[in-house]
Amino acid sequence: MDKKKNIIFTTVALIVLFGAACAAQFGLDAYLRRVANLCMIYAIIGLSLQIVNGFCGQFSLGQAGFMAIGAYVVGVFTVPVELREKVFYAVPMNPLIADIQMPVWLALIVGGLLAALVAFLIGFPVLRLHGDYLAIATLGFSEIIRIVITNAQSFTNGALGIKDIPPLNDARYIFVVCAITYIFVTALINSSYGRAFKAIREDEIAAEAMGIDLFKHKCMAFMFSAFFAGVGGGLYGALLGTVDPKNFLFTLTYNFVLIIVLGGMGSITGSMLGAILVTGGLEFLRVFDEPLEVFGMAIPLFRPGFRMVIFSILLMVCVLFWRKGIMGTEEFTWEKFKKFVKNPVGYWKGDEHHG
Amino acid sequence: MKAKKILTALLASVCVFGATATMASAEEVIKVGVFLPLTGDNAAGGELELRGIKLANENHSTVLGKKIQLVVQDNKSDKAEAANVVARLIEKDKVCAIVGTYGSSLAMAAGNIVKENKIPAVGTSCTNPQVTAGNDYYFRACFIDPFQGTVMANYMKKLGYKKVAVIQEVSNDYSVGLAKFFMDAYKKMGGQIVDVANYQTGDKDFTAILTNVKAKNPDAIYAPGNFTESAMMIDQARQLGLKINFYGGDTWETNDFLEVGGDAVEGAVLTTAFGREMATTKEAKIFLDSFEKQFKGEEPSALTALAYDAYMLVYYGIEKAGSTNSVAIRNAIAANKNLPLVTGKTTLDVNGDPVKGAVIKTVKNGKFVYVDFVQPK
Repeated sequence: MDKKKNIIFTTVALIVLFGAACAAQFGLDAYLRRVANLCMIYAIIGLSLQIVNGFCGQFSLGQAGFMAIGAYVVGVFTVPVELREKVFYAVPMNPLIADIQMPVWLALIVGGLLAALVAFLIGFPVLRLHGDYLAIATLGFSEIIRIVITNAQSFTNGALGIKDIPPLNDARYIFVVCAITYIFVTALINSSYGRAFKAIREDEIAAEAMGIDLFKHKCMAFMFSAFFAGVGGGLYGALLGTVDPKNFLFTLTYNFVLIIVLGGMGSITGSMLGAILVTGGLEFLRVFDEPLEVFGMAIPLFRPGFRMVIFSILLMVCVLFWRKGIMGTEEFTWEKFKKFVKNPVGYWKGDEHHG
Repeated sequence: MKAKKILTALLASVCVFGATATMASAEEVIKVGVFLPLTGDNAAGGELELRGIKLANENHSTVLGKKIQLVVQDNKSDKAEAANVVARLIEKDKVCAIVGTYGSSLAMAAGNIVKENKIPAVGTSCTNPQVTAGNDYYFRACFIDPFQGTVMANYMKKLGYKKVAVIQEVSNDYSVGLAKFFMDAYKKMGGQIVDVANYQTGDKDFTAILTNVKAKNPDAIYAPGNFTESAMMIDQARQLGLKINFYGGDTWETNDFLEVGGDAVEGAVLTTAFGREMATTKEAKIFLDSFEKQFKGEEPSALTALAYDAYMLVYYGIEKAGSTNSVAIRNAIAANKNLPLVTGKTTLDVNGDPVKGAVIKTVKNGKFVYVDFVQPK
């Protein structure tokens, strides 16, 4: 299949998926719609982490902080002005921003840009570090962002959190943002910048010898990553209708590390798959939390919390058998899909290089 | 290859199980949803509350001639999960009312969903005023931060303190809320706040804060916050030679507070929702008896009592509504007056917050001892 056909297929698939999103908006019940929306939001943030960790090979753990920035821009600026007095009941809102109200789409973009700006400022000193040190530094900065938000009470309402954010539980809206993220990241990775990212991932010294400006490219990857994390965080805040600083503890980042490791470090479609498996899977496993009776006997294992045990076991099994994640560094392509449809068993057998 | 087959079989069996395992209940029941943090950071609190709800359900299991079935779900102390799980309770389990949760932020995440679906929810120990404000479908069994802060301000004023320092746990909404309303009330009564110091959850060294506070020479310190941090702070204050007394909120009422603080926390005073000595209602006796039977030798925590009450609010709501129509239940919960609950006679105000008294306790010989009971105005 040539490139043109691929594009047509992908476009058709996106349109079909958009149709599915519309159907989800009207056909699915509120619970499933919420899970679907959360899957898409986590996919966006997973993709954002993938840019730095998967493609550029820099181990960053700052995603929770960038999400917090996006979520707070949405939180602070989309709450209707007349409701703000009630929300900021402890310390009144700073008059500088008290009258500024934005529509959600604008707040998302502003949140993303602000996150990217902060990423630039942080990246300047931090991106000179490598490996574990970079991970620790980014994690530290994400905590700093959270603590600044906690203490800037007149802007963010501090620990009390913000509620009454106009809820955005619209599968179509979130799907469009997710699709744009997907298309952008795919285009970025297939561009010369993307190839430079991959070169840096494989061998920094060799990449530098080839004339790649390491710092510039790392910084760029870091900023793009922060932008999408900000947008994803904004959607997350809007989906829940409330934000508070404790949401964005560094443990939140591990969610997304899990998603990209499970999906495959360095695979765009992998991280989307990972997001769906982790989010949807956890909800699916809820049956293990509910009491189960077999022939009138209640099985004691089936109590709240049991699903986390099952989930951990499944994760361990996955990591044991798919060491590079489910997709590895491969992508979903229509060629492979065609091969798979024609001969699923043969495809599976011939696919050993994956695991 | 073999391993992969086993793996595939394992995954498939989990999937099949997940798809087929559905609860089949033939008899007609009234379903009440419960969502609590049973795993994650707040699991300890969630577990204590689940006890209370289960006890209440055992003692009052039928209403309108039908059995009440609890559908318990875990929200993993995570806001996104809390929202998911409430949507699930409403859509999949078709519950007519919801009880929960520990943690105000978790309750706020659920707020929009119960409001949209018109399903009444009764919070157990979510004390942030924002939980019920502007939401007709969210009620709660606990008193809110402003009330607790004000009660302590009145009490401390009565003790004759003129200058008080406030130390708040700035990353904790509960602590910030209590401190804010304490200061408002205290200043209004002519008291003086000489210092406001902040610390973060998880801090271990408070000597800098305490040295500053000591220099201002206050008569007492109001320091609502997490029990571990507070106990450590009081201990360090004693080491610094700070002899004045500490006052706090209901989070202190845990064994950990006594264990970590040891001798240092002797004399510390706190406000709480439940005290054995004030348990005068009939329901309180039933609660204490059944608690004693199930958890021998344990002292019931205020969280357990509040969760019990949250269930009872729903129970009386359904009884008064006379149907399982969720809007009717909502109106009945709002309209009920002077309900004889475990933590005292309870009426809900226009916001859905209870108007009831607070218990003041102090630490004496390594135990929490009842001091006073403050009626609401």
